Amino acid sequence: MSGDLIRAIVLLTILLAIVLVLAVSFGTVPISWSDDAARTILLRIRLPRVLLAAAIGATLAVAGVTFQTLLRNALADPFTLGVSGGAAAGAAIATAFRLGRFPGLVPLVAFLGACGATAAVFLLARRRDHTDPTRLLISGLVLNAFFSAVILISFSLSREADLTAALRWMMGVVWGARWSEVIMLSSLLVVAMIVLVYVANDLRLLAFGEEDAKARGVNVERVKLIGFGAASIITGAAVAVSGIIGFVGLLVPHLIRLVWRRDFRFLLPLCAIGGATLVVAADLLSRILVTSAELPVGAFTAILGVPFFLLLLRRSR
Amino acid sequence: MIEVRAVSYAYGDSSAVRDVSLTLGEGQLVALTGPNGSGKSTLLKLLTRVLAPQSGEVLFEGRPLGDWPAKEYAKRTGYLPQDPDPAFPMRAIDVVVSGRAPYLGRFSWESVSDWEEAERALALCDAAHLRDRYLDEMSGGERKRVFLARVLAGTPRLIVLDEPLAALDLSHVQQFSLLLREVVNRTGCTVLFAAHDLNWASAHSDRMLVLQQGMLALDATPAEVMTAEVMRSLFGFDAETVHVGGKTWIVPSQA
Repeated sequence: MSGDLIRAIVLLTILLAIVLVLAVSFGTVPISWSDDAARTILLRIRLPRVLLAAAIGATLAVAGVTFQTLLRNALADPFTLGVSGGAAAGAAIATAFRLGRFPGLVPLVAFLGACGATAAVFLLARRRDHTDPTRLLISGLVLNAFFSAVILISFSLSREADLTAALRWMMGVVWGARWSEVIMLSSLLVVAMIVLVYVANDLRLLAFGEEDAKARGVNVERVKLIGFGAASIITGAAVAVSGIIGFVGLLVPHLIRLVWRRDFRFLLPLCAIGGATLVVAADLLSRILVTSAELPVGAFTAILGVPFFLLLLRRSR
Repeated sequence: MIEVRAVSYAYGDSSAVRDVSLTLGEGQLVALTGPNGSGKSTLLKLLTRVLAPQSGEVLFEGRPLGDWPAKEYAKRTGYLPQDPDPAFPMRAIDVVVSGRAPYLGRFSWESVSDWEEAERALALCDAAHLRDRYLDEMSGGERKRVFLARVLAGTPRLIVLDEPLAALDLSHVQQFSLLLREVVNRTGCTVLFAAHDLNWASAHSDRMLVLQQGMLALDATPAEVMTAEVMRSLFGFDAETVHVGGKTWIVPSQA
């Protein structure tokens, strides 16, 4: 591994640590080990929430940079592609059919939704060796509209008692986080990262185009399958836990590239740490700005993300 | 070194390469020419394993391409596509060192010797000063040299270049052609390049292959190709020849 990368990782990790400490410390109840109630709040509520936000941020940023490399397009992100929407639609359908009673079933259906959306992106936006940004965005728009409709239909079929849970898929929230969710998502992320690092050399060559990568000895079809599969699975898992949190996968690789304009092997770990930092910070900010209610962090990342997205759109060919 | 045996390839119904057979030896600088759509790019892709022949076979060092492990074959060949375009901004040196990728194992990074090879290739292409510049800040000629350095960094025995002279101005065409000759002389590898400009292709090659509608119409020395008869029969225009500096140049006749 190169010295540059180690320095960048250390730098971003320090930033993440600072944001984590701030996020855990901030709240109406001051943290304290001696006080029982305060300790319970810390361990049961605040810590899982902050760590879940970190895991979701890392997951979405990793999925984003992977989609961008595979599609050779900086506008790709789980949300703009409609992959998050597909996962949310899957989760909403599962909720309507009351599958929440069986553990693991809702994330599974969410993952199937994510895979369906990825396949649709393939069919709609890809032309031979490259992805046309216009087609990419239009197909994302259409898919998101379709999935919103599916989610609304599922809502009307859901029982009243399930509606609050169902609303989560649309809003993108990290409150009420459970340790089991934190553990599920972070272990999936670790596995996905290992898989992605395994094909990182190949993915980095794919940035030069598929034919070029083939001539360099890359098994392009296999790498695409692995890359899209890994990115879809983790997107599905993140959405199943927290609903749609948009633009993280777009924003983070973009910000990282502003500082480190390097290849995929470099960007992957930096995006993971940067994504964790961004979502924890966004959640902290929403708690600081509005103390009377719980703001959905997804709305916050969207407010941050939209201007960046428009900027990227202006610049793209 | 490489032997093409009765290879054909079609995109759907439209046939691109038809029943082509040829052999390339060590240390040759070979130009592949032919009118637009005559199958030049497709033939180059068949030699670099980007495409697999639908019939016939290609042998490298006596072994069919399909039997070569992909990375092993990639170590021995270098391919420069017509319009290489990395999706994201990259430094020249990062582009060049990516030519070492077939030598890397899983989970591994370039070693000191990989970086040295990249620096050497960059210097050979007279592009050492571009090392830390970004591709999107370079001229077409500078980019071409960086990409040739990327090909050379892989220390290939066979180099395949698709229209390397396109989009270069005349002084860069001259420079780049001399560079190709130097590479062949220095490393003893074989270079096959596609070019539609006959005058330059002939001036800077030892041998010319002419494709016509996917078939190998002529395999001869530049002097044999550069005649009025060949221009009329294979390229479809009337021409006169001019002899300057020991080379033959084609000039289209006034209608």
